[in-house]
Amino acid sequence: MDTKAKLQILSGAARYDASCASSGSRREGPSSGTGNTSTSGICHSWADDGRCISLLKILLSNDCIYDCAYCVNRSTNPVERASFTAREVIDLTLEFYRRNYIEGLFLSSAVMQSPDHTMERMVRVAETLRTEEQFGGYIHMKIIPGCSSELVRKAGLYADRISVNIELPSQASLQRLAPQKHKHAILEPMALIGREIATSLVERKVCRHAPRFAPAGQSTQMIIGASPENDFQILRLSQGLYKKMNLKRVYYSAYVPVTADNRLPALAAPPLRREHRLYQADWLLRFYGFSAEEILSDEAPHLDESFDPKTAWALRHPEFFPVEVNRADYATLLRVPGIGVVSAKRIVAARRFSPITPEGLKKIGVVIKRAKYFIICSGRSSEKPDQSPTVIRQRLLLGAGGETAVSAHPEQLVLPGLFA
Amino acid sequence: MNSYLYDGTADGLLSAISWILEEEADPEKVTLSERKDTLFEEGFTISTDAPRAESLFFRLKQHAPDAAHTLYSFMLAEKGEMETSLLHYVSLAFRHGDQVKGYLTHPAIRDIVNVAKKAGRELHRMKGLLRFEKLQDGAYLAKMEPDCNIIHPLAYHFSRRLRAQHWFLYDVKRRTAARWNNGSLQFGTIEQFTTPALSEDEKKVQALWQAFFKTISIPDRKNPRLQKSNMPMKYWKYLVEKQGE
Repeated sequence: MDTKAKLQILSGAARYDASCASSGSRREGPSSGTGNTSTSGICHSWADDGRCISLLKILLSNDCIYDCAYCVNRSTNPVERASFTAREVIDLTLEFYRRNYIEGLFLSSAVMQSPDHTMERMVRVAETLRTEEQFGGYIHMKIIPGCSSELVRKAGLYADRISVNIELPSQASLQRLAPQKHKHAILEPMALIGREIATSLVERKVCRHAPRFAPAGQSTQMIIGASPENDFQILRLSQGLYKKMNLKRVYYSAYVPVTADNRLPALAAPPLRREHRLYQADWLLRFYGFSAEEILSDEAPHLDESFDPKTAWALRHPEFFPVEVNRADYATLLRVPGIGVVSAKRIVAARRFSPITPEGLKKIGVVIKRAKYFIICSGRSSEKPDQSPTVIRQRLLLGAGGETAVSAHPEQLVLPGLFA
Repeated sequence: MNSYLYDGTADGLLSAISWILEEEADPEKVTLSERKDTLFEEGFTISTDAPRAESLFFRLKQHAPDAAHTLYSFMLAEKGEMETSLLHYVSLAFRHGDQVKGYLTHPAIRDIVNVAKKAGRELHRMKGLLRFEKLQDGAYLAKMEPDCNIIHPLAYHFSRRLRAQHWFLYDVKRRTAARWNNGSLQFGTIEQFTTPALSEDEKKVQALWQAFFKTISIPDRKNPRLQKSNMPMKYWKYLVEKQGE
C-alpha cells in the first residue's frame, strides 16, 4: 500500500478526535533543525467541516485488538486496515512542516498487539523526530490506556501535550461499550501525568535546563451522546478533571454513528447543539468563575437547548440583576449574559477614562443584544426595568437577542434500549 | 484649528506628528493630512525628517511599548486618510501610557486600534495560511497577496521557524520579497517575477496534503459557512488544499 492510501485510511480514522490545539508551549527552534512552537498556537487551515487544522492528525495504525462499540476502528468492523512505519510518519511530518501546512504532529493509534507494544512504537516516532531530525515543532501524543508508566514518562519528555481519552463518562458505560477498557487504566496515567508536569515545573524553577514534561499540559476527550450520562454528570466530571488533575482542556465530541450496534443510540444526526452547549458550560467553568453546581442540578440535569448556560443561569437568578456597568467588578460583569471576557475587560479599561454611556458601550464593541435585559448603564437602561424572567425569556426566544432558539433539524436523542 | 500636510510617506507622517506634538499646545485640535497639491488645499507642510521619525517611535516605545506596537501594526495596514486620528492617538498615548488602548470610547483611539487589530489578525492568519513550494534547487518559495504589508514581521516569524531552510517570501501585489539563507534575512523588490521550476517531488507532496485535507473533515458535520468565516476565500488562491475548487 502506498503512503497516500495509508494517509487516507489513517487520517480518516483519526478525525473523530476533537483536539487540534497547538498552543501552550513555547520552544525556540534548533538552529540546524526544523520548527519551533508559539504560545498562542497557529491554525493552518480549516477543513470542510469548519474545524481548524493545525496538526497532522493521524493514527499510527487502525489495526485494533479492542472492540469498543462506538469506535470506527473496532476489531469487528470490516474496514480496511493499515499501519504506518515510523519513517513514513516522520517524513510526512517534516515534508508538511517545511511547506508550512502544519504546526506539528498529532499521533494516536489503535491498540496493536498490546498497549505497551503500541505505545513503544509511538514513542519511537517522537523520539526520532526530536533527536535525529531535530524537529522543534509541536507534538501531541495520545497515551494508550494500560501502557507502562515508563512509556508515559518518555512520551511526556518528547511531546508538548499528551492526553488520555476518557471517551465514556462513567464506568458503567465503559463496561458496556468498551469492555476491554478500564477506568483505572485511564485515570492512573492521567494522575501520573499531572504529577510529572508539576514536578517538572518545580525542577525548572530551580534549574532552567531541567527537562520539560509535556509543557502544553494534558487534555482528554469524551464522546457525547453514545451513552446515557446527563450533562450534569459530564460537567461535574470535567470540573473534577480541571480542579484535581489540572487538565488544560476537556474536549467533547458529538457522537457520530460509525457502526450499527444495538448497544448504541440511533441518531438522526450528531448531537451538535448539545456538544456546543457543553463547550459553553465548559468555558463558564474555566474562565467565568462558575461551578458545575451553579449551572445544573440533580433536578435539572440537562443544559437548556434554547438558551446558552449563562443566560439560563441569569434567568434563574433575577436577584443578581440589573448590573450597573460602571460600578460592577470584573467577576460580576462576567456573569452578565452576552458579556464575555473580552467585553468585560474592555468595560473595565474604558471606564477608567470616563463613565460609560449606553452609546459608549456599543462603541467599545460590547454586543448588547442579550446583555440589555440585565444591565443598566450610567443609571439608564435601554429596556424597561424590572421585567420578569418570564417576559425576558419570551423576548429572547422571539429573536430579540437570543440565539436561534429553534434548531434546524431534529437533534433529540433516540436511545432505544438504553434505559431499559 | 490648524491644518498640517505631509508628503505621504511613513517617515513624513511620523516626523509631522513629532513636530506637531512639540509645537502645538493642543495637538487634539489639529488636523493632519497628506499633501495632494490640489488648488484649494490649505495647510502648512511639514518637511520629512527620517531621524526625527525614528526618534518619535523610539520614545513612544520607551514610554508605552504596547501603544508603540499598535502604531507599528497600524502602519502595516497602509491605511490612508487617518492621519489626524493617528496624531491624536500618539498624543494620548504619551499622556496615558499603555492604558490608552482601553480608551475605546474615544473615536481616534477606536479607529487606530481597530485598524491595527486588523493588520495583526492578518499577520497571525498568514503565519498559518502561507504555503511554501519546493523549487528545483532545493529552496522554498511562498507567494501571497495580503491586504496589509506584513512581509517584514512574517519573514521574521519564519526566520525563527524554518532556520535550516533556504526560502523566499513574495508579496505579489507589492512586488516585495524576503529571502532567508544561511542565517541572514534580506528584503528587496522584484521588478519582473518569473515562476521558477518546482522540484520533482513537489506535486506528490501537494497531492498528499490534498488527500489529508479531504479525509480529515467529518462528512456528517460539513459546514462550509464556518470554513469560510475562519478562512476567507480571498486567501484560497495560494492554498494548495483549495486548488481546483
